[in-house]
Amino acid sequence: MKRILKIYFRLLSQNIKMLMEYRIDFLTGAFSFIIDQVVGIGFIFIIFSQIPELAGYTLDQIVFIYGFSLIPKGLDHMFTDNLWSVGYFIVQKGDFDKYLTRPINPLFHIIAEKFQIDAAGELIMGIILVCISAGSAGVVFTPLSVVLLIVAIIFASLIYTSIKLGTAALAFWIKVSGQVTQVFYMTNEFAKYPTTIYSDFIRTVITYIVPFAFTGYYPCVYLFTGENPLFNIGGVVIVSSVLMMIALTIWNRGLKAYESAGS
Amino acid sequence: MNKFFRLYMPFTRAGIQSTLMYSINIIFFSLSELLYCFVMYYVWLAVFDASDGQNFMGFDMQDMVLYLFMTNVTAYLTMSQADSAIAEEIKDGSIAMRLLKPVDYHISILFKDIANPIILFFMVFLPMTVCVEIYRGVTAGMIMFQPLNCLLYLLSGIIAYLVSFYLNMCFGFLAFYVTNLWGVSMFKKILLKFLSGAAIPLAFMPAALKNILAFLPFSSLSYTPVMIYMGKYTGAELLLNVGLQVFWLIALIVLCKLIWNRAIRRLCVQGG
Repeated sequence: MKRILKIYFRLLSQNIKMLMEYRIDFLTGAFSFIIDQVVGIGFIFIIFSQIPELAGYTLDQIVFIYGFSLIPKGLDHMFTDNLWSVGYFIVQKGDFDKYLTRPINPLFHIIAEKFQIDAAGELIMGIILVCISAGSAGVVFTPLSVVLLIVAIIFASLIYTSIKLGTAALAFWIKVSGQVTQVFYMTNEFAKYPTTIYSDFIRTVITYIVPFAFTGYYPCVYLFTGENPLFNIGGVVIVSSVLMMIALTIWNRGLKAYESAGS
Repeated sequence: MNKFFRLYMPFTRAGIQSTLMYSINIIFFSLSELLYCFVMYYVWLAVFDASDGQNFMGFDMQDMVLYLFMTNVTAYLTMSQADSAIAEEIKDGSIAMRLLKPVDYHISILFKDIANPIILFFMVFLPMTVCVEIYRGVTAGMIMFQPLNCLLYLLSGIIAYLVSFYLNMCFGFLAFYVTNLWGVSMFKKILLKFLSGAAIPLAFMPAALKNILAFLPFSSLSYTPVMIYMGKYTGAELLLNVGLQVFWLIALIVLCKLIWNRAIRRLCVQGG
């Protein structure tokens, strides 16, 4: 474990050096993610200038859900961004061989190799939105709810990671699977709003199949009302664990099926 | 004229072939864009449900659906990859090969880039428009399709594509000066989404901001063609907006040539 951590921080510091080389570039990148979120919030404000409530939720509650959903998304984006490269080009170019020859777990190596600082844009924005809207959204912070909030955020981030991992691993069979990841990943857009606005079909899909509803709406419902923690928070933990097991199974099978595409 | 096309058509043909090789990418990309449209569709459904009238700042639900899907498909259709194409050529030095050929640099890039909208027109625009029109027809109980508006839309859409192309050319020339374009192009993408009205319809913005954005070249990219398709622009307003598109197109062509003339002197290809 000590060795793993040591390797991780080594790779992390390499990454930071690389970022420093292109300082302006990554600052512009992080800044653009913030602008994107500001525009998204601006849109919500425009909507609420015309209506008092959306699907029974006030402006502050919608902003809270929106901000909350950005936190797990940003965390996953920050730490596991390299999974995209697996699906888009690492396997296709034959570069995956490199990871197999090293004396550490290839999955750990892939994830540790890239630290995506741009995600700070989403993360900071998410935290700001949650902080400014929590009071008026009716969120009461007790020691219990803070613990559950942290648990929910961690497991919700793992939902993102599992979806990326499971679909990226398909590249071991089909060489390029980035587009598959993209389609599944885009489903997270649904997490930014209350699931009650969607049709039954979509609600079922984003609850049980591509469970992004657990990365935003459900934990927020618990924080607003204190109702049903078993489903709203427990659900995040269970769904996320199951999904992670499925993703790891696909990944491990893929590793066995992998044939180098190298040139 | 004939000679001109004989000279440049092979670029288009090559572009079409290389784009078709990645047709599976196009399908998946369109699918994920479509997902976004559906999220917004449900948000609007809830908004119209919550507002008492049938009207949201001059748009009804049908207008909104039309706006949503048409804006996305138009932005996709008029998207130009000229910037990344140029940046890559400058970075790996293959720009030298193109400069050696007896063709105009800008026009040869244009004829290659144009393959994209041609393919997207058939693969994405036609099926999507048919679906949207069926939706409109069914909800209204009559045929809503306006052939004239559609024709004008296509005309305005072609100008929109050219504006987008020259805008991206200018942007791609940044690669002469900056080595890493990732952050900057992310910034460009997100800013364009906002300035062009793809993120929030310009009609919903505060009047002052709306007037500024409507005048800037970015509204030419998707907002103008879509407003024409929806029949929101007629008569003098229509002429004015298409005229503005043409104005920006000419301005960007001139700007593009100016930057090119300056930047090409800086070009220094390492190795090859």
